[in-house]
Amino acid sequence: MKATIERAVLLKSLGHVQSVVERRNTIPILSNVLIEAVEGGGIKLMATDLDLQIVETVEAQVEQAGATTVSAHTLFDIVRKLPEGSQVSLEAAEGKMAVNAGRARFNLSTLPRDDFPVIAEGDLPTVFEIPAATLREIVDKTRFAISTEETRYYLNGIFFHVTDDDQPVLKAAATDGHRLARFTLPRPDGAEGMPDVIIPRKCIAELRKMLDELDGTVEIALSDSKVRFGLGTAVMTSKLIDGTFPDYNRVIPTGNDKLLKIDPRSFEEGVDRVATIATEKTRAVKMALDTDKITLSVTSPENGTASEEVAGQYGSDGFEIGFNARYLLDILGQVQGDAIEVHLADAAAPTLIRENDKASALYVLMPMRV
Amino acid sequence: MNTDPPENAPLRKIIHIDMDAFYASVEQRDNPELRGKPVAVGGSSGRGVVAAASYEARQFGVRSAMPSVTAKRRCPDLIFVRARFDIYRAVSNQIRAIFRSYTDLVEPLSLDEAYLDVTDYRKLPTATAVAEEIRERIEEATGLTASAGVSYNKFIAKIASDQNKPNGICVVTPKQGPAFVARLPVRRFHGIGPKTAEKMKRMGIETGADLGAQSLEFLQANFGKSARYYYRAARGMDDRQVKPDRVRKSLGAERTYGQDLKTREAMVAKLADVADVVWERAQKSESFGRTVTLKLRYADFETPTRARSLPEPVASRDELLAVGTALLDTLIPDQRGVRLLGLTMSGFGVAEDADGETETAQFGLEL
Repeated sequence: MKATIERAVLLKSLGHVQSVVERRNTIPILSNVLIEAVEGGGIKLMATDLDLQIVETVEAQVEQAGATTVSAHTLFDIVRKLPEGSQVSLEAAEGKMAVNAGRARFNLSTLPRDDFPVIAEGDLPTVFEIPAATLREIVDKTRFAISTEETRYYLNGIFFHVTDDDQPVLKAAATDGHRLARFTLPRPDGAEGMPDVIIPRKCIAELRKMLDELDGTVEIALSDSKVRFGLGTAVMTSKLIDGTFPDYNRVIPTGNDKLLKIDPRSFEEGVDRVATIATEKTRAVKMALDTDKITLSVTSPENGTASEEVAGQYGSDGFEIGFNARYLLDILGQVQGDAIEVHLADAAAPTLIRENDKASALYVLMPMRV
Repeated sequence: MNTDPPENAPLRKIIHIDMDAFYASVEQRDNPELRGKPVAVGGSSGRGVVAAASYEARQFGVRSAMPSVTAKRRCPDLIFVRARFDIYRAVSNQIRAIFRSYTDLVEPLSLDEAYLDVTDYRKLPTATAVAEEIRERIEEATGLTASAGVSYNKFIAKIASDQNKPNGICVVTPKQGPAFVARLPVRRFHGIGPKTAEKMKRMGIETGADLGAQSLEFLQANFGKSARYYYRAARGMDDRQVKPDRVRKSLGAERTYGQDLKTREAMVAKLADVADVVWERAQKSESFGRTVTLKLRYADFETPTRARSLPEPVASRDELLAVGTALLDTLIPDQRGVRLLGLTMSGFGVAEDADGETETAQFGLEL
């Protein structure tokens, strides 16, 4: 194999694939990136952790086709330190890969490409497209609620499913048992008959990074066990979480009769301010509702007390309810507009937050006992 | 906060009862052939340790927690007997029933020892008489002997029970207390281990009297948090209460393996066995903790632990194992083999923070 590639192009692409590679690996080859030079077709870089793989094709001058694997993090670090604007030549022979740029010479150990594991995609019968901007929004408005509790592994991802409400829709939902985030969009063409899937957290995180640099549309192809994202020059393939996502609809309250309308920015800023003195452990903010105002307060045994009044529209009976400040801020950080609806029932019941009944995003938050 | 008891607090009567070479004595009781012979309870194989040694074995220098190999070297005729914890537990229940016939203030420290506060027991004139009666009743009911320490606080009672072992009693009155403590080597103080004792020795502190001669400031400068306890203990003062039904703080089990475990598969399989044991014990005592701690010992004896707290108590043996395995995965792969694995559950009951205040509780979605 012999190819020459621009440093900036190689660096960007390695940046994408190397973050899939785990720092600690039992299987040595999983630390490596597969580099394949295709005659007249540039080079392909590929990394995997056996659950998630990214393949990116970049332009390069290929003199001799071939493939090898080298340590992804080492190569990434090397390329990062090479002079800007340099041309990097990669040449593999006899168990080594030479990396040359300017006057710098590296000779890296390799492992045979045939040992490199490739995720077998199998048949991916459902194929549809989503604008990159929409996919970004879906991820941003739901991923913060993904559970990190490994014992409830089926919550460690975003659940995607299609259903017929008034019209056919695609829904994405995530929950950690304390809060739930759901995003709804019209069902894209081709998504009909899609199996319910749970896309794992790591795939979501890597996907989100790639989406930053992408305009246009993303092609999504999936079966009940794999998903593949076509992201311009990159293709990301992930196994899905093999589990059943709970029927989350039953925790979305429909009969909450106390409605607070409030400016999300002043609400967010108020919560953020009073939470300054909340201890890392509890993070509880008390919210006292009264006619057309709420009073946010925090009492910390160590630090003292804080309170702030925020104006809002509220006409039901006054009462007090507590929330984890971080959970509130996660949600408020994702809502736009100048008013949001907070539908409450009582101090121990699920609370519904949304911009309005037309909004794509909906949040359910459980209170804290304060 | 002032934790001193009022100086005119009524004098308490505390008894510490400690069974004599408990496990080994049970074995000798049940197997006449073992009587009068050096017996060790525990595994004799490569990495076994002595869980208990009979008095005959102790004469050879065999001690509990000693590696079986060492014990065998010190006492070549040592007879190893496998531990029968269900029997020990049954005997333990017998003696606790006896304790409870005198007072509800019984604080078991293990299967074979407990503190009793008999201040309010009026049927016998002295705590000494109570202790003697308890020792008689234990021997009658179980055929085993116990030693007792009788004094006015837990600290002295515990040391006293060791004073005339086996089958003995030692009474330390409030008047004798300070002199009794003054003569003690500091190593005998509860909470002073070999390292602290060594540090104290370098400072010329070897007895209770030496310790009592130090100012609180000096002790605080050198021993930090424990200073106040040392200062008071050296004066024979200890106001800790006898806490009935001690709230369990943790529950766990660990196993040492004859051969180092090399693969993840082998470790997970062994961890599953440990999880079985811990779960069984949790179910028996109906104690389910929210925090799971994994302990692991590499072949070079480095022994890291990793813990994770869950929002809810561990709900099943499988969940316990899943959390344990996840913690294990943070410590492996590692080229060193693994020779010990342990799992502990803690964080029982109502969540409390360090100040003992009830944590504000997050409600959960009913998913």
